[in-house]
Amino acid sequence: MTIRTGIIGLGKAGMLRLRISRVMDNVDVLAVADSSKRRLQVAKRLGVKELYNNYNELLRSADVDAVIISLPNFLHKESIVAATEADKHIFIEKPLARTSVECKEVMRLAEKRGIKLMAGHNYRFLGCVKKVKSIYEKGMIGDVELSTFELVYDGFSPTLEPTPMPEWYFDVEKIGGWLLDAGYHLIDLFQWFFGDAEVLYAHLGSRFHLPYEDHAIIVLGSKNGTAKGVLNVGWFSKLTFPQFNFRVILHGTAGFISTDQFVPRNLYIHAAKEGIKNVLRRALGIEIRPLTYTYFYSSYAEELRHFFTCIENDSTPIVTAQDAFRVIRTIEEIYSMHNGS
Amino acid sequence: MDNLVSLVGVESFSREGIKKAVYQAIDLIGLNPSGVESVIIKPNLRWYWDYSTGETTDPRIVSAIIDYVCERWNVSADIKIVESDASAMRTKYAFKILGYEKLAREKSVELFNLSEDEVYEKEVTIGRKKFMLHLPSIVFNSDLFINVPKLKVGPYAGGQCLHMTCALKNLFGCIATHGKVKFHPYLQEIIVAVNKLIKPHLTVVDGVVGLGKHPVKLGLVMAGKDNLAVESIAARMMGYNPSKIPIIQLAYQEGVGDFKDVKLVCDNIDQIKKRFPKKSRLFFELSWKTQFLLLHLYTKVSKDAVPTVLENV
Repeated sequence: MTIRTGIIGLGKAGMLRLRISRVMDNVDVLAVADSSKRRLQVAKRLGVKELYNNYNELLRSADVDAVIISLPNFLHKESIVAATEADKHIFIEKPLARTSVECKEVMRLAEKRGIKLMAGHNYRFLGCVKKVKSIYEKGMIGDVELSTFELVYDGFSPTLEPTPMPEWYFDVEKIGGWLLDAGYHLIDLFQWFFGDAEVLYAHLGSRFHLPYEDHAIIVLGSKNGTAKGVLNVGWFSKLTFPQFNFRVILHGTAGFISTDQFVPRNLYIHAAKEGIKNVLRRALGIEIRPLTYTYFYSSYAEELRHFFTCIENDSTPIVTAQDAFRVIRTIEEIYSMHNGS
Repeated sequence: MDNLVSLVGVESFSREGIKKAVYQAIDLIGLNPSGVESVIIKPNLRWYWDYSTGETTDPRIVSAIIDYVCERWNVSADIKIVESDASAMRTKYAFKILGYEKLAREKSVELFNLSEDEVYEKEVTIGRKKFMLHLPSIVFNSDLFINVPKLKVGPYAGGQCLHMTCALKNLFGCIATHGKVKFHPYLQEIIVAVNKLIKPHLTVVDGVVGLGKHPVKLGLVMAGKDNLAVESIAARMMGYNPSKIPIIQLAYQEGVGDFKDVKLVCDNIDQIKKRFPKKSRLFFELSWKTQFLLLHLYTKVSKDAVPTVLENV
């Protein structure tokens, strides 16, 4: 079965989704929509046949089975509503929407129409995270009492590519806040590991004099267990590709574990090994595994593969709209605690 | 008159310590301009990296320069901090994120985006090549132009790696054009071209945090009146022989300034040199080139995707 896909929004994330999808065997990127003519031309060069400057036109195409929405945060709700009404399966970049009210609205609609709605929680698909989760679930480190989740990087400066960050990154109304970006992933991971969370402490700060936080320390507690987690998240630290500054550390009653133990020690050797494997796959006519050579970016490919497999098998994605809603609800709790203090 | 370059170490990394070093560095070169009514100060703001990374000028250095101008030359001078948009940076956000908006409020000075100024089209010849540059009028119409670069090694850009990014390169940021990435194939010539057209009256190098293989707290402030002389001393600080740096040679040939007859007024230069974390430019350049070559080869054969960060390299 070939899944005929449309991509809405060809910014950094949308372009990445396009490049990944077009190397997948059973996916046909049939259409793209973006307001930029230049980006549409890039998509055309990459073999996309239908180009639209308005996503509603793309949604009217009966040939499209599923859409990947890579629009700025403030356009998530309206685009999900439109895609749901057009009965397309939806993969949306996180956050699902900016508020829990918006989330509920789109969840209800998607459920009513029976479409798949999955938000991009790519950190769940990182090899090192999957490994830690599996070890924890097998009980190999016992019950977790304390944990640390960290993600700190450079939110504003492209490491190599000479294009500026989009204007909406600097607009608090449009971006929402930094917790909706990096913080979102850590909150999702905590809840994926330990279930619903309550906020025990929150400090939000801005080194960069912006009207929203660029770093935060959050302490979460599991509502169903005893696990507590410190979440260190920030957008202020210069990083050069392929470095990434992310880890999960679990301290259990029977031992401890860290994602660092499962990240390749030398990312260049890893790239060479994975590159050779893909070249061999290509030579043998087997589907390649996109972006495995980058380690980190392969998580974007893995989650898209999962989304398409769920459509093929009519199964439920491991990231549900409910998961995405839970994260937003926790973020709202953090903001209200912060504003209250 | 001697071509003086001063080097002063900070006594402490506090605002006061840095201010004292800036004052000493400027005092030592004996600059006494007259009729200073309008002043522009050009820091180096690269993307949105904090000054502690060694990539961008520390606002405390600029703060000290503003104080110096007001105390020594004209308390009511019209002072502007200037920068231009770059391919991957918008000046309005850089001013905010890097603390310049706050500084401008504190000191009651103006922030000015050179990319929004009226421009002069200037033709300049470097060697046999002719270049047409769009330069903001303000840099030609101010009484005093103060160049405030960083002491740092060059990045990999446009398939090459400059030895350093200091006094000469900072003026590249005076070109009003947004997409300056288009100049990268002739980066050295363009930098020399701008330096031929714009001559700062004073250059104050921020070496409080120097950037070599990694950032390091050097605690150094340099000052000079000849941009090329300052560049050559900065090169020595970073462990290079200035005579062997092509851009310095080219700038000298084109009459940008002098680097052969420079008088140093300084603390112990060798002590500071030892602390600079030298970076092998050849290894750096080769390693990037090899990585990109392998990546292109790999994607051609495997047809795999590339992450956005590598899309245009």
